[in-house]
Amino acid sequence: MARVRLDRLSKRFGAVPVLDDISLDIAAGEFVAFLGPSGCGKSTLLRMIAGLESVDAGQIHIGDRRVDQLPPGGRGVAMVFQHYALYPHMTIFENMAFGLRNAKVAKAEIEARVAEAARILEIERFLPSKPGQLSGGQRQRVAIGRAIVKKPDLFLFDEPLSNLDAALRLRTRLELAQLRRRLDATMILVTHDQVEAMTLADRIVVMSDRRIQQIGTPMEIYARPANRFVATFVGSPPMAFLDVTLNVGADGLARAALADGAGVQTAMPLADLPSSPTWRLGVRPEAAKVVAPGTGLVDAKIAFVERLGDRTLVHLRLADGGALTAEDAGTSRAAMDDIVGLAIDGPVHLFDAEDNAHHPRAPT
Amino acid sequence: MSGSAQPVGRSPWEARAGFAVMVVLALIMVLPLLWTLGLSLKANNELLRDTGSVFHGPYTLENYGSILRRAAVFRWLGNSLLVSLCTTLGVLTLSSLAGYGFARLEFPGRRWLFALVLFGLAVPEQSVIITRHQMFSALHLHNTYPGLFLPGLSAPFGVFLMTQYFKAIPVELDEAALLDGASRLRVFWSVLLPLTLPAQATLGIFTFLSSWNDYWWPLISATRSEMFTLTVGVASSQINFAQTSGLGFLMAQAVFASAPILAVYVVFQKYIVRAVSGAAVR
Ligand SMILES: Nc1ncnc2c1ncn2[C@@H]1O[C@H](COP(=O)(O)OP(=O)(O)O)[C@@H](O)[C@H]1O
Ligand SMILES: [Mg+2]
Repeated sequence: MARVRLDRLSKRFGAVPVLDDISLDIAAGEFVAFLGPSGCGKSTLLRMIAGLESVDAGQIHIGDRRVDQLPPGGRGVAMVFQHYALYPHMTIFENMAFGLRNAKVAKAEIEARVAEAARILEIERFLPSKPGQLSGGQRQRVAIGRAIVKKPDLFLFDEPLSNLDAALRLRTRLELAQLRRRLDATMILVTHDQVEAMTLADRIVVMSDRRIQQIGTPMEIYARPANRFVATFVGSPPMAFLDVTLNVGADGLARAALADGAGVQTAMPLADLPSSPTWRLGVRPEAAKVVAPGTGLVDAKIAFVERLGDRTLVHLRLADGGALTAEDAGTSRAAMDDIVGLAIDGPVHLFDAEDNAHHPRAPT
Repeated sequence: MSGSAQPVGRSPWEARAGFAVMVVLALIMVLPLLWTLGLSLKANNELLRDTGSVFHGPYTLENYGSILRRAAVFRWLGNSLLVSLCTTLGVLTLSSLAGYGFARLEFPGRRWLFALVLFGLAVPEQSVIITRHQMFSALHLHNTYPGLFLPGLSAPFGVFLMTQYFKAIPVELDEAALLDGASRLRVFWSVLLPLTLPAQATLGIFTFLSSWNDYWWPLISATRSEMFTLTVGVASSQINFAQTSGLGFLMAQAVFASAPILAVYVVFQKYIVRAVSGAAVR
């Protein structure tokens, strides 16, 4: 278990900058997810920590050691690759023992550690097999086992679930969460899947555009997104945005007014907001409800209906052209082209012209 | 490709006709070999009268006996083995190392150097043999073993083949091994090299065969009888003994000289088929 510090890291491939000024502090034993769209540099950052990519500027510390100039094998990290990267010509036992042999661990100790990991991961009966004889899910376990036996200070996972089918992914996700409790190690997970990040991580690092957009617990990221990118990327279906103007409402709180004057009360004191030429109101589907025409905030036309069984997603189009998604009961009778009322019932978010979010001061 | 007996879209008739054509072609290929084998098993004086006697007895191993009674033959056999093995080991070692370098290492001039290797594929031996002869005599390498096998070590095809093969191995394997604390040498030796075994087998077999069959260079380089390889030795005795020893003896020599190659073909059949069908290069 080790603390990990990234200090002003930058990286470019040739003339193309990929990461800019990345700083991050990960506590010992913490599980952190790097979340972002594909191509945003998550893997590159992970590989820099592992020592597989050079560091152009900045420092990396694992525990008390500065590691950015050390070879990958000397950093005390283990990595699970997206495509597993098992050695095809070695048995499963040899795959797991390879790193220990290189570290000159005693033979009896190697056998004990491999046996223990194989037991935890339920892959004992595959030990004499070759990777080619295993299914994708089984190979995934071996790859995790190969990392576990080394007892590293830091585990790195690069999209470990993305090659599994949906059912197996769900199961492996749960097992990964349980494994994490058992191992009690520092872990970094790279993923483009917000559900993986939300369910597994203590803290999420949202990345985009070469930079860290926000660092926070899953609920912080969800409830208090730092900007429009984070608000859109986390949450499914994504948050919708309506153009609004601000005026003063009850208790000095800002009231967001739509084009036709109908207003939504926010929890944000107007006085705390900077001046901005435009404002957007962010509404998640669960904060938007469908009501009888004329009884809501405004009336809207139903553009599309998605029935998910337990709930129904109703995609609405407002008279001023704005669009948003409302959540309705599974038994909803909403139908395309109906005119319905839109009610806002739940937290809303304010975004300024620079797309930065403004939240009420967190309760302390 | 599937190995089904009856390919889709072909009638059994067509399949049978195709099979018949293959059988005829195979017979045409194998007939001279059977002819050679047959003649080698006949007494020389009988063949002098009528080579048609090959179709009936009596057969004899006498010709093989006279080969084995000549001590020089074993010397030549040994020379051939030594030269072919040295060439093969050398080519495998150099091609693997060079292939790894071209596939995995970044160094200035890599592309140019690789282009030079590819260019080497297009240079025929005939165009360099005089220069090579002069160079080897200046270095006093004629009539030595290094003189016989060194030229074979420049194998641009081997370098090309191994480069392509190493490139086809995912870099993630190197990276996983590096993270497992392996040195570069250990990655090469324990992780990558075992994965190139099919290519090594292909390259090794073809190098061995072509080295064994090589006639021209040993003919030029080895002028003393004790440095002859089997091909040169057999040919020299044909010139000297053709009149006296007879046809059966010559044929027995030919069979004797190609027996090791035949053994290589039989033992490594699987790899040879894979190589000529292109499966080994992927
Ligand atoms: N070895 C490389 N050489 C050049 N560009 C690269 C290399 N590796 C990644 N990139 C580029 O860097 C960017 C970030 O890649 P990556 O870290 O793999 O993204 P992610 O894992 O977030 O999908 C991408 O635009 C990718 O094309
Ligand atoms: Mg990636």
